[in-house]
Parts: sequence; structure tokens; C-alpha cells
Amino acid sequence: MPQNDHQHPRRTLEVENLAPNPRTDYVELGVTSCFSFLHGASDAVDLVATAWEQGYDALGIADRNTMAGVVRIHAEARKVHIRPVIGCRVELVTGEAFLAYPRDRAGYGRLCAMLTKGKMSKPDGEWQQKGLCEITIKDLAEHSEGVQLIALPGRDLTRFEAELPRLLRMMPTLRHIAASYLYRGDDRARINRLDRLARTHGLSILATNDVHYHIPDRRPLQDVMTCIREKTTIAKAGFLLDANAERHLKSPSQMIRLFAEWPHAIRATREVADASTFSLSELRYEYPDETVPEGKNPDAYLAELTWAGAHDRYPNGVSEKIRATLNKELALISKLDIARYFLTIHDIVDYARSIGILCQGRGSAANSAVCYCLKITSVDPDLNDLLFERFISEERREPPDIDVDFEHERREEVIQHIYEKYGRARAGLCATVIHYRPRMAIREVGKVMGLSEDITSALARTIWGSFGREIGAREAAEAGLDLKDPHLSRAIRLADQMIGMPRHLGQHVGGFILTQFPLSHTVPIGTGAMPDRSFIEWDKDDIDELGIFKVDVLGLGMLTCIRKAFDLLEAHHDRPLTLATVPQEDKGVYDMLCRGESVGVFQVESRAQMNMLPRLKPREFYDLVIQVAIVRPGPIQGDMVHPYLRRRSGNEKIEYPSPSPEFGPPDELERILKRTFGVPIFQEQAMKIAMVAAEFSPKEANQLRKAMATFRAKGLVSAHKEMMVGRMVKRGYDPEFAARCFGQIEGFGEYGFPESHAASFAHLVYVSSWIKCYYPDVFCAALLNSQPMGFYAPAQIVRDARENGVEVRAPDVNFSEWDNTLEPISPGRFAVRLGLRQIDGMKKPASERLVKVRYAPFTDLEDLKSRAGLDAGTLRRLAAADTFRSMALDRRAALWQAVALKNAPDLPLFTASETRDEGEDLSVELPSMPKSEQVVADYQTLRLSLKAHPLSFLRTSLDRQGYISTRTLSNAYHGKRVVLAGIVLIRQRPGSAKGVCFITLEDEVGVANLVVWPKVMEAYRATIMGARLIAVRGRVQRDGDIIHVVADHLEDRSDALNRLADTTMPTPIARADEVKRPVRSPHPRHPRNVRIIPKSRDFH
Amino acid sequence: MTGRRVVSIFLPQFAMERWLRAMEQAGNAAPDDLPIALATEGTHGPVIHAINRTARQSGIQIGERVVDMRALCPALQVEYADLQGDRRLLDRLMLWARQWCPWTVTDGVNGLILDTTGSDHLFGGEAELLREIETRFALLGFSIQLAVAPTWGAAWALARFGPVRAICEETDLAARLAPLPVKSLRLTHDTVVLLHRLGLKTIVDIAAIPRLSLARRFKRADLKDNPLLRLDQAMGRMAEPVSSIEEQPQFRIVCRLAEPIQDPAPYVPNLCVDLCSQFEAAGAGCRRLRLMVYRTDGEVSAVTVATSRPSRTAEHLARLFDGKLERINPGYGFDLITLEAAAIEPITLAQHCLDGGSDETLQLSHLIDRLTARYGPRSVNYPVLYESHVPERAQRWVAALDRTPGGTATVPLCDRPIRILEPPEEVRVLYDLPEGPPAKFVWRRQSLQVTRYSGPERIAPEWWKDRPGTRLRDYFKVEDQTGRRLWLYREGAHDDGRGGAPRWFLHGMFA
Repeated sequence: MPQNDHQHPRRTLEVENLAPNPRTDYVELGVTSCFSFLHGASDAVDLVATAWEQGYDALGIADRNTMAGVVRIHAEARKVHIRPVIGCRVELVTGEAFLAYPRDRAGYGRLCAMLTKGKMSKPDGEWQQKGLCEITIKDLAEHSEGVQLIALPGRDLTRFEAELPRLLRMMPTLRHIAASYLYRGDDRARINRLDRLARTHGLSILATNDVHYHIPDRRPLQDVMTCIREKTTIAKAGFLLDANAERHLKSPSQMIRLFAEWPHAIRATREVADASTFSLSELRYEYPDETVPEGKNPDAYLAELTWAGAHDRYPNGVSEKIRATLNKELALISKLDIARYFLTIHDIVDYARSIGILCQGRGSAANSAVCYCLKITSVDPDLNDLLFERFISEERREPPDIDVDFEHERREEVIQHIYEKYGRARAGLCATVIHYRPRMAIREVGKVMGLSEDITSALARTIWGSFGREIGAREAAEAGLDLKDPHLSRAIRLADQMIGMPRHLGQHVGGFILTQFPLSHTVPIGTGAMPDRSFIEWDKDDIDELGIFKVDVLGLGMLTCIRKAFDLLEAHHDRPLTLATVPQEDKGVYDMLCRGESVGVFQVESRAQMNMLPRLKPREFYDLVIQVAIVRPGPIQGDMVHPYLRRRSGNEKIEYPSPSPEFGPPDELERILKRTFGVPIFQEQAMKIAMVAAEFSPKEANQLRKAMATFRAKGLVSAHKEMMVGRMVKRGYDPEFAARCFGQIEGFGEYGFPESHAASFAHLVYVSSWIKCYYPDVFCAALLNSQPMGFYAPAQIVRDARENGVEVRAPDVNFSEWDNTLEPISPGRFAVRLGLRQIDGMKKPASERLVKVRYAPFTDLEDLKSRAGLDAGTLRRLAAADTFRSMALDRRAALWQAVALKNAPDLPLFTASETRDEGEDLSVELPSMPKSEQVVADYQTLRLSLKAHPLSFLRTSLDRQGYISTRTLSNAYHGKRVVLAGIVLIRQRPGSAKGVCFITLEDEVGVANLVVWPKVMEAYRATIMGARLIAVRGRVQRDGDIIHVVADHLEDRSDALNRLADTTMPTPIARADEVKRPVRSPHPRHPRNVRIIPKSRDFH
Repeated sequence: MTGRRVVSIFLPQFAMERWLRAMEQAGNAAPDDLPIALATEGTHGPVIHAINRTARQSGIQIGERVVDMRALCPALQVEYADLQGDRRLLDRLMLWARQWCPWTVTDGVNGLILDTTGSDHLFGGEAELLREIETRFALLGFSIQLAVAPTWGAAWALARFGPVRAICEETDLAARLAPLPVKSLRLTHDTVVLLHRLGLKTIVDIAAIPRLSLARRFKRADLKDNPLLRLDQAMGRMAEPVSSIEEQPQFRIVCRLAEPIQDPAPYVPNLCVDLCSQFEAAGAGCRRLRLMVYRTDGEVSAVTVATSRPSRTAEHLARLFDGKLERINPGYGFDLITLEAAAIEPITLAQHCLDGGSDETLQLSHLIDRLTARYGPRSVNYPVLYESHVPERAQRWVAALDRTPGGTATVPLCDRPIRILEPPEEVRVLYDLPEGPPAKFVWRRQSLQVTRYSGPERIAPEWWKDRPGTRLRDYFKVEDQTGRRLWLYREGAHDDGRGGAPRWFLHGMFA
């Protein structure tokens, strides 16, 4: 379940039971949709809807050298009973253009193969950005068998006439010449000439309107697109634009009238359309076979593996419940013929395990006992109540979705294994369609319309989120723009139309398609922008539509950390563990979590989660599942957190509303909500309420789920609201309760977790907590070795470890390796030795060389340099990071020596010249380095210091000024007015908190959490955004053990930090900080690694 | 001992002050309380380059990214810095500073260096000189910090890190430099950080280190990373002369007259000849000429002429002044005439004909110049083709002097008549047909019968330019009974919902 942030709400036709149109004499074949990027100005929905209104019974689709848009046309057209004729408009590198319509599946395959060839011609994936596709006439000729070709003559007929004989010789399937009546003045003469030409060569002309938009009113948008494409402005575009708006979809009768003189041109369209019988529904998906051993039946083999796995999973015997579940699931899998899908994933997971990569399935797959037994997921169905129906169901004719997380550092190995095993031709990653977003739309349209830079940026600034669908008048007025100006309002209107148009194809993060037969015969593939990747042209919705199954291969940082921790445990503590063998339900782990000590732990390390832990007090695994799911924008906005906590602590009666007795059993809701004390927390529960209390059919419920998942626009959701509330009230529920239920469901529309997903995550929460609890040394080292990941910067991780009694030692050239390691103190006790990777700018190869030659301790810098072959820069970096203490050299002395070393190659010839012409180095008395400067230099080079906290140098002065430390704060009573100062760790403004900003400060003894109300935030904005050291005045707010300081006054005291060493002192800002690391990337690039935490809104 | 006196001028707010000055001159002075920043392109988006006072008080910092600073101060107004413009102005200021001494150079992007050895007494000593320089810069709107010292390096350091208008004598050079931070040695940031880590924070710290130890460490470093060499420069142990650059040649002829005269005309041809000989030597020509006459009573009048292409033909240039000089009011007469050339462009000589004959187009350009000089620049125009589907917009007139040579020739995509009526003339339709042009119509009281036609060519209004409600046109080429070929169009279609029945117009004739 990848959280795809730039997913655009996909428009679809919402129609039911339309009557099919009668057969027409004319079929439009030259349709260019918006997937011919910046050529076509209408999307599938509009084209198909217009075609249906005009009475078409079939419609051709021919995008420029791409099949990216065909699935959408296919899906929409089937809804209104129009037969989509699938084809493509082939434009050769030499300029000739053809409409290509395959007759059958084989022809379609050849066409796809040709497009693949064109897109693979450049190795760097440029095609995705620029729509580049290089096809030569030879390629087309080789792939033209079974493909009906229609030549598109350009403007220059004389040239076309000269070329035609050659084209005909090369391509025997070229039987038609396209003729268009586009009101260019010479249309009749032109068509007559083409007609004569066609007759001489035994061909026929074929009528087409070369459609670029569905209605004439779209011409402005198409003109704007042309300008964007040609990088010009509308005033300068001149003849690049068309003179009129005739290239819209015309009705069959209109076309027949225009071509009254050439009835055979109309007939030809019907003939071509009828002859191309290929439909995308024919793309029967074939799973790869190699996962099934020779001579075995996939179903039987899956069953075999499953039962074998079950014995591993349940060494004490498989319970009756599980046995029944497995049998049921296996029967369904066999019935749907998807055993090979499971085998394929099993194979990938198996491979990853075999080379020691940790992996774990998540998402709805965790609902399946088969997946558990195949060791794809790790949620035990025996302990948890799983809903297999959510994973696969018969009525939902949708493929199951198995997402597997791998260690983020080694995911590429898995991807390359898949390519290697199944071959480039049979494996490909999904595409992601990048759409025009409001900001981009207004910028590009504004540029074309000749608006000045400041006006467009003023307009762009008014758009808040990335998916406000329109630019409102209010926002424009806010920006000081006059919408009465017709030019401006026209630009805004056009930008509005532009929003949501596809811009180019991006790469999906990890959705793999695997096939038995060459994939390039199913869909065109291109090389990716990342090396060694290839991508298909369809996105995940398209694949769902066609019923093709995909495997999500995702990266997860915590798995990397856990694997490294397991390695360390085995090596040092002699305790080999796997995800499955970590001791379950350990009391100590829950005690630790109840105290809110979760720095570095998966998922529950954020400040909001940390505050929730002491309130929720998790005591068992299921509590963790709830903990993971409840601190989410969905439940928070749906106001489920407090009722749940009240009911859990027994402060509120748990009650389950029930319907009127005549409609159903009174405990129908209790059955659904019992586990969560009557508060819906998981997505499934919301679904079930809809199905049980509002009697949604599975199909309707599925629609609701989709609406919740993808639509943030309100339109569709409100229709569901009426339906659901109405039905619940009819069944005797209290209207207020019904409305609240829906409100909660709506909350899930933002981000809710399904239970299975939360359970998968909770498992990792537990495992990481266990390691942290019992082996904080191991946890610290593993976490540091997996950076960058998680919420915190190394400084906070190290600090937390030290607070938990771990001895952390500074990096040293004689002890450190690249990674952070454990050093024995006494039997069974270890200290963490920081690795050289913590040093800013240090390179891994240099460090490896260093470690390799450390057979004996380095005695001085010269020795280190000559043995490890380090360059002067690296030596200086090592010296600046104070890593020579073991040679009794402090930072300054080491640096002084390092500077003196020459950066020369170690060749015998040059050693003579190496001898110093200055003679022996004189000993120089450098001023000794005060501790405060040492600490600042530590922060500059390591981003942390083990020597002291910077604030400790200021404490005397702070005390005198009345600032309290965080230790004093922990004893302060509620409402007490305090002043304190600290280094800024995290600033966050979660979308669910209505503009409240949370800041975490750190001083030498602990951390303090500030709450800044929006008004204060506005007043001290500059301080909050810019300061590294903040002095704050405010009131203490206590809620049990949770202490906040509500800020009244903030002051930027970064100057005090800089005075520590007369230089800029960098402070370790946490990774979760939203100012330094804005949550929404301004560029529509795809996230390389899947974000586990969906992003909240922009900070500013 | 250098024996020289070097003034270093540091303009800390140069880019911002120049921008503010430009805005003020454009009558668009920026309010004082508005935070303004100038930005340049950085690797990760625009970066702050210069800020005004209000922005500095709001916490904006130079070198930070614009997006970060915007978050800090949403009211921040960001403009793009004009680095080349800054450079050019600094170059001009450098020449302007030669009023104080003959040797001046620019120093970085916001500094000047003046070698004032021996010239300070002209201004009443060094203290007076510095005060005078500061005053003059302030009048231009630039705030400066400056210092005078025996070396470039010392003056640079004192101007930036020393007291106001520091004057450093050769004897106390070392003492004056000693307390300054190492940053004042013109070192790169990395080296400064390194020296800081080594505990060497001021110049005296470095000076205290044995020379050999420093040499051992910095022998091979570049000048800008080498504290030793930089210290030597500042202390005058290593020469760093101020090598002044030459001014651009000016094309200007001055004619001083013994007696005031009333009419400058007789002098113009000779002035032009002199000027053109200068041009010939430089291989250039001019496109603007300005004649200035200085009257005895202090009034100055100027006459400016322009040419369409660079010229250095004396005769031609002189003729451009014909009839223009009478407009000068001579008053009591004038005794000084200057002729200045501007818009200098290089002329490359090319022989156009084998027999050495002259080029026709050259003659044409002379004619254009003369006509323009006589009737004003707006009277002489060229038609140029313009890419528009709407026939009456397909050409434009541009002033002959503005014409860029070798403009793009765009050919209309469709056939256009040889003559276009402006405005189109409405015709009365006698006999209408459902499709195509009318069978019979009246134009200029003649009844015409359509015998043949082709079309239609549909030209839709230019939506970005035309009023909403403008109707599309269907153009037909028609031939009447006498064989005349006309261009007819119907404005609007029957069903376009934009007003009543379509009307017919005649828009042109084909040959």
C-alpha cells in the first residue's frame, strides 16, 4: 500500500445502464488524447462522453508513439458500450506519420514491441520526461504485419506523393491514406488529389478529423499546450497554432456530410474499425512458470509449500482454526487460478531471505494465513482476527495486492534479482503518471499567456495544498490581482483546465509486473531514468483495470536497522534471532513503551506517538496495533482518540447503538467494534459498519473504500454520505450517531490504516522496542548504521543511548571502523564505538583502506598516511573530527600535523623529493583549545559531541538570568510560569493540529516540548523558523507525566551559541523537522523510497 | 618598505544600493519599511544575494535560500540581482574614482582600490581625502567603508575590519594589523575555518608562528588559501601593485572657437570628417551622433541624429544635420562645439561587386537615414510579415531605424490576395446558397455573379486577443462572370449563437 502523494484524483464516468448506440457508418480513428503529452487537450472521460452523445458505437484511439492512454479509453468506453479500437499514431524520426491499428493480439504485440524498441533506444530514460521515442521506417516495416497502417500525409503533398511508392514497397499493410476536411481553404482540392493518388496506387482514402480535443471550446487549451511544447508565448506562436477549432470530435453525420463526395472514405473507416478486433480485455495475464517445479501443478505445489510452512510456523501442531482457514484460502486461490502469483512472491521473498535480506509483507496480504505460512507476512492469524475477504474476494474482481517491504539499503539487490531471473523482457516496473498540479499549471500557462513572472508567482503562491483543484477568485484577490482583467481571468481559466492533465510518465516506486511471455508484447517498455530499471507505460490503476497482478517491492529503513541489530546480536551477544523468534509479549518492553521511551523505535517515535504511549499504556501486542493506527490524521480528525482512551481507562461507558429490532440483531455493531471498545479505528471497521449498519452491498462498500482512499475532493464522498446516513436512519439508528459514523469514515479518507497493515507495522514496533529495551547498545549502533532514516538525527540517538546507560566512545582511527561497532567492556557488556561514517565528508573506500591495514596500531599521522594511502584532505577531516586521541594527539595538534603532510603519490621515485627541504618540523606552541571550542568543532565535524552539551557552557549565565533547566521543568506544577532555553530539535505543524506548531527543545539534561498557538506562531515566526537556540517564556501544562510548555514569548538566542567559539555552531536538527526538511517536495518527482509516514501538510 | 599609499574602498551594500537607486530613478522608489532582497540562482534554487535594512532586521541572511527566508518572513520581496549591471557600474565607478588619483582598479565585486601615492596633498592630506571620497560616494547613494595603508592587503583589511577611515602608516603597520581576525587576510572560508580550529584567530597569532612551520604547511597552497603569502602581501614583504586599466576610447571631437559665432553649420562637415577618421582607425561606425553647442551665456543645446546601420561616411553623417541646426537658438553666439558618437558598432568592410561598385542597399539606408532625420523616426516605416492567421494582422509596420537586418521571412500558409481592402467592404447578397458563397451579390453597386469558387477557409478569432463574441470567418475564393477573382468571407455561422444572420464581406482581390 504505497502512499502515493502525487496521485491525482482520477476522473471517471459515473454512468449506469446507458443504452448502446446503434452501429454508425463512420468511426473516428484519428483521436489524440492528452496522453500524447502536450498535443491532445482532452482526456479519456471527455472524449468518450462526447463520442457517446454524438452516437458513436466505436472510437479509435491513436496517441503519439505511446499506449499510455489506451487503458483509460478502454475502461471508459466500455462503460458506455462503445467499442474502443486500440491503436497508436506512429511518428517516425524522419517525420512520416501513420495511424496504426492492429488487427489482433499478435499485431498489438508487434506494435508494443516496436514502441519498446523506440523507447529503449536511449539508455537514459529520457523518453519519460520528453516523450521521446525513436522509431525508424525500418522498425515500422518489420513490425507492420497484422497492423493496419493509414498514412498521414503532411502539409506538403508533393513530397508525400514522391515518398508513397517507397512506403508501399516497405509496408504491404499500408492500405489507406488519411484525409481530413479541416476548413483550410483547399480541402476539396486536397482530398481530391489524395483520392487520385490513392487510386493510382490501389489504395483508398480514409476520413478522419485528426481529433485533438473533444469540443471546439478546448482549442485555447490546445493552443496553450502547443506553446508550452514549443517554448513560446501565445502572442509569438503564430503559425504553430491552428487557424480554427475544427479538430474536435465531430458526429458521424457531420463527417458523412463533409465527405459526401467521397463516400468510400467514410466506408474505409468502418472497414478498418471492424477489421481491428483486438480488445485490451484479451490481454490474458500469464504468470511466470519457473516458480513451479517441472511436472507439478501450481495449486498442489502451493498447498505443499503452505503446509510445510505451517509446520514451521506452528511447531506444536496446526490448530483446527488455522487448518480450516488455510483450506478455505487455498480453495479460493485455486478457484481464482492465482496460485502462481503467490508462488512468485514466495520466490522473491525466499531469495531475499537466502541472501540475508529481511523482508516482511504488509497491507491487506497480512490478512491471509497462506501468506503467513509462506513467510511473506508475519501477523499470526491464530492470534489476530483476520479478514481474508479484504485480501481476495470473489465478487471483487480485483487482483490481490501483496506489498513486501525489504531493507531499504538492499532493495536494489532484490530488484536486480527480479530482472535477472525473469529477464528484462518479462519484468518491468509500473509507471506513475505525473499530472499538472496547480502551481505548475499556473506557472506554465502564465508564461505562455505572457503574464509577468511576479504575477504568476503571486498566483502560484495563493495555491495552498498541491491538490486544491481550482484557483478561486478569493485567492486571486488575496494576491492583489484583479480578476476583472479579461486576460488574467482567461489565463486562470486555462490553468484550471490544465490542472490534472498528464505531464509525463514517472516511475512507480516498486510495483513490479512479471509475465510468462515477453512483457514488451503486452505493453511498451522503456528504460528508466535510474540506471538498470525498465518501466512500462501503464500506471497502477491501468494495471488494476486490466486485472494484471503486480508485486510491490518496497524499501523500509527499519528493516535495515533490525537486520543490522540481529547481526550484532549474533556476533557479540551470541543470540541469533529472526523476526519470528524475538521473544513475544515481554513485560519489560511494554514497561519501557509505557514510559514513552521510544526514541528510534519504529513508528511510535514521533512526538505525537510518544505522548500517546503513556496514555494508552500498551500492555499487549494488540495495543501496539491500535497505537500504530490511532495516531494518524484519520482517527485524530475523526475525533476517535479521546473516546477510545476514555473507554479504555473505564471513564466512559462502552455502548453499542443498535438498530430497530425488526431490522437486525441488536449486537450487530458490537461484533464489529468490540475489540476497539466501540470506536472505529481501522479502515475495515469503517467498511463493516457501512456493510452491516447501512447495508451496503460489497460492491458499494468497495466504491466507498475507493472514494475514501483516492478522492480528497468532496463531491463523490457526499453522495456516499447521503446513502449511508439515510440507510442507517431508516434502520432505526440515531441520525446523529449515523452522521458521526460517517464523519469518522471520512476521516479515513485522509489516512487511515487497515488493521492488517497496522498489525504488520506493530510487529516491527515490537521487535525494535525489544532490541532497544534489552540491547540498547546494539540498537544504537544498528540505528546509526542505517542512517538516514527515522525521526531523529544521530545526536539524539546517541544521547538516548547514553541516557540508557550505554557507553558511547568517540571515533578513533585506531579503533573505529566504517560502521559503528561494539567494543567489549566486560563480559556481556559493550560500548558503542562510533564509526568513521559519522564524520562529515568521510568516504567509505578510504575508511575501508584504513581498516584493512590496521594490523598494528598507527603510531602517527605519517604512518597512517603511508600505510592506508590516504590523501591530505581525508587526513585533515580525520584530524578535525578528533580521531587521533589514541596517539595522544588532541584535535588541534593532530590537525597541525595533518596540515603539514603533503598530498603526494607514494611512488619510490618521488620519495627522494618527498624529503622536506624545510628540514625538521619545529615544535610550535599552539594555544590550547578550550572545551567549548572542542564541542563546537565536534558538532561541526560529527554533528554530535560526547564531550559536553553546548548548553552546559551557558548554564551559569542562564541560571543567573533565571532560566530553568528541563530537569527543574519535570517537577514544575501545572500552570507555573517558566523561562527556559534550549537547542531546537524539531519543529512540526501537523495538518490535524489546526495550525498549532510543536517545537522540541533540548538542553544538557533533557528535552522540553513547546506548544505554540497560531497567534504566537505568527508573532514569532522569524524566531521559530530561523533560531537554533530559543529562549522561551510560557506556562507549564501537565497531563499526568506529559509536560508541555505553552509558549507566550520566544527569543532567538543563536548568538550565544556562536559565541562559544566565534564561529557558526551547527545544531543537530532531527530528521523529522519540517522546516529544514519540508514535508512536501516542491517538485513533482517520485519518492524513491516509499514514505511510511504519509506527509502532513506544508509547514509554511 | 613599499613607499606607496593605497586606499581600499569597500561598498558593503553595493548591489542593494544600486537597485534602490535604480528604482528611485525610475520613479518607483521602494518604501523603507518593506523587506527587500536580491537573489541569484544557486544550485538548489535562488539564493539571497543582497538585502536592505528592513530585511536584515527581519532576520534575512545573505547566502540562504530564498524559500527558507520567505518562510521566515513571508512579506519579503525578492527581485533578481543584476550581477552584470553591478559589474558594469563598478567598472564605471572605478573610472570615476580617477578624479582622486590616476591608478584605480576594482577589487572583487564590491570594492575599489586606489593608489593615491602622492596625490593626497591635492585634497588636503589623507584624512581630508578619505572624507572627500566618502562624501562623494554618499552623494551617489553608496555607503562605503575605507582605509588607507601602505599595502593593498592592509588597506583591504582595515577597510573591512578596522576603525572608520583608518589611516595606517608604514611604521605601525604590524601593530595595526595585529588584532584583526584572520578573515581579514583575504582567505577562503575553508582556510579560515582551518586556522580557527588550529587556534589561530587573529593576524598576530599567525605572525607569532615560526615562518618555517607555516611554510611547511602552506607552501603549495594557492594564494587565496595561503596565510603566509597573504600576510606577506599585507605587510609589504611581497609586492602587489595596483595595475590600472585603460579607459575605453571615446569618440568625441571638440572644436573651440576664437570668437562666438551664430551658426554651427559650416563647422559640421569638418567635425564629421575628423570623427570619421577616428572611426576608421578603430574599424567602427556609429548609429547615434550628438552635436552640442555651448553658448557663451552658459546654455548648452544638443542635436541628435541616428542612422539605420553603423556608418562612418562623413558626408552622409553631415547631411543628417541638414535643417536641424536652424532650430538652435544661438543667443549671443557660442564658442564651443562638440560632436559625440554613441552606439558604436564595428563595421566590417566587404566588397560587394567585382568591379568595386557600391552597394544599392547602402544607398537605401542612406536615404532612410536622411528621410528619418528630416521627418522624424515615426514617418519612415517598413512593412514586415507577421505570423497571424487573421489576414489584416498578417503584416505590421515597424520604424525603419528599428528594423533588425535580416528579419525572419514568414510566408502565409494559405493563398492570400494581392490586394486587401482595409476595412473589408460589406456586400449585399442577392441569392444565397446553403453551402458555399452566395450565387449573386452586389458590391460597390455592381451586381456580381459567382461562377466558380473554392473554400471555405475557416479562420477563427484569436481568442487571446479578440473581444469575446468575435465571430469566425469563412473565406471563399470566388470568380465572377467577368473572370475577376475576389476574396469573400462570411462573418459568423448560422448556428454559432453570436448575433444574428451572418454577414458577407469582400476582403480582397486576387491577380
